[in-house]
Amino acid sequence: MKYSYYPGCAQHGTAVDYRISVENVFRILGIELEEIKNWNCCGALHVPDRTVRVALSARTLASAKGLDIATPCNLCYSNLMRASTALADSALRTKVNDALTEKYNGNTRPKHLLEVIVKDFGLPKLAENVRKPLKIKAVPYYGCLLTRPENNFDSPENPKSLDSLISTLGAEPVTYYYKTKCCGGPALLTNEDMALGLAKDLFVMAKETGADCMVVTCPMCHLMLDGKQKAVESKYNIKIDLPVIYFTQLMGLAMGVDPKELGLSKHFVPADTLIAKIGGNNDRK
Amino acid sequence: MLKETIIPESRDPAFRDMVLKTPVGEKIPTCMQCGICAGSCPVSHEMDHTPRQLVRMVQLGLKKEVLSSNTIWICTSCFSCSVRCPRGIHPTELMETLKPMAIAQGLENKESKFDTVFSGVVRKNGRASEFLLISKYGFMEPGIIKQLPFGISLFQKGKLPLSSYKMEDTKELDAIFKLGENSVEKEKEIKGDNKAEGKDAIGESKDTREETKNMGEETKATMEKAPQETENSDGGKKI
Repeated sequence: MKYSYYPGCAQHGTAVDYRISVENVFRILGIELEEIKNWNCCGALHVPDRTVRVALSARTLASAKGLDIATPCNLCYSNLMRASTALADSALRTKVNDALTEKYNGNTRPKHLLEVIVKDFGLPKLAENVRKPLKIKAVPYYGCLLTRPENNFDSPENPKSLDSLISTLGAEPVTYYYKTKCCGGPALLTNEDMALGLAKDLFVMAKETGADCMVVTCPMCHLMLDGKQKAVESKYNIKIDLPVIYFTQLMGLAMGVDPKELGLSKHFVPADTLIAKIGGNNDRK
Repeated sequence: MLKETIIPESRDPAFRDMVLKTPVGEKIPTCMQCGICAGSCPVSHEMDHTPRQLVRMVQLGLKKEVLSSNTIWICTSCFSCSVRCPRGIHPTELMETLKPMAIAQGLENKESKFDTVFSGVVRKNGRASEFLLISKYGFMEPGIIKQLPFGISLFQKGKLPLSSYKMEDTKELDAIFKLGENSVEKEKEIKGDNKAEGKDAIGESKDTREETKNMGEETKATMEKAPQETENSDGGKKI
C-alpha cells in the first residue's frame, strides 16, 4: 500500500508528537507514505478568498502522481475534499490550472489517515497487529472537519469509524454525544474565552463517561484539548486531568510500540497513568 | 434583543444579488427560517445575529447589517449547520463568502487581521509556522501577549520551532494568490468602491444606491436562473 503523503504544517510544530507516532505505526503496518515534494499549506480556515483556497489545494491534488493522497490533519483533509468537489466545475478548474505549473486533471482522491486504516488497510488486519489489547475506556472524538462538510467514509452526524478502531484495539469506545461538536480550536488565538468554553463542554461530557482518555484525529483539536486543558481547569475551577491522544498513538500502544516512540512525552496532560493502566511498554522490537 | 423595523432604505438588492450569484447563493432564496442552523451552531450565543437571522438578512439585502455582523467572524467553521440544513443552504460557506466582501468594504477586526497574517505567511513561505504566525499577529493584536506562557510551554515541549518553515520553492504561490487579487479588484471596480472610505464604507454609499437602481431588472432574472450562475467562483465578478 502506497500513498502520496500530505503532512500539513502542524506536523512540523505543534503536532510533532502526531508525526512521530504516524511514522512508527505506519512503518510497522507496512503502509508507505511518500511525502509530496515541495508541498504547500492548504490555507486552513484563514484564506478568505475562495479561488485562492481552492487553488492551494488544487496544487496539492495535482501533485499526487496517480496515487491517493493521505493526510493526518482534519483541516487539510476537509480543504482537499472541498477543493476536489469544487474542481469538478471545469470553468473553475481551468482558471485555477492557469496558475499551476502541474495541472490538476480532477482525478485525485484525498483520504484522512483514519480512512486509510479503517477502510483501506482494514480493521481485521489491524487486529492481527494488536499485541496488547487495551483494557481502557476511550472517548472517540472526531471533531468537525473530519466528516464535515463532506467525506468519503463516515457519517457527518454519527460517525463510527473511530469507535470501531478503538474496539479493534481492545478498548471500549464510550457513548459520547459531543463526538462531532466543535472543540473551539479555530478560535484559540482570536477568541480564547469562547474557545475555552467550547472545550469545557467537551471535557465535562467526557468526564461523565468515566473514560481514561480522549482520542483525536486532528492537530488543532489536540492543541486545544491537550494544550489548553489546564487553562480550562483554571478558568472554570474544575479538575479534568484527561489525557488526549492521537488515534495513531492509541494504535501504537496496542501494537506494543514503546511509548517513547509515540511522542507521548510531548503532551501537556501526562499519559503516564494511562500507559501504566495499559501495562507498560516495548514488547515490539 | 431589541426588535427594529426594517426601513426600506436599508435594503440593497444589489448586495443580495451579489451574494446569490456566488457558489453558495443558489439555495438562499429557499430558506424557510426553520432555525436548524441556529440550533446546531455551537457558538450562536456569541453572535449578534444567529445564522438563521443572517440568511434572512441576506434575503432582504441588509448589506450594512450583514457585513458588519460579528456572526461571520464568530463562526468556527464546524459545518454543523451546513450538513443539517433541510433546504441545502450552506450557512458556513455563506460566512466564508461574506468575509472577503466585508474585508473589501474596509472592515478590520481581530479575526480578519489573523487571516491577513496567515495568508501573508503562506504566500511568502508556502507553509504556516506557528511561531511566525504568533509573532506577526502579536504585532497587530498586542492582547495576545497573555498567550505568551502557553507559547513558552509549547516551545519547551519542542512544539514551537523558531526556525521558519518553508517550501523549497515558492514561485507558484504568487500566481495562486493573484487569482484572489483579481477578483477583489474587479469587485471594487464594479462597485465604484473606495478603500479610503475605510470602515464607513460598509453600507450605503451614493454609488451603491445608484447601482441599486440599475440592478432592479437583473434582480428578478437572477432569482429565477440562479443555478447556472452559481458555478461562477467569484463573489462580485459577474455583476
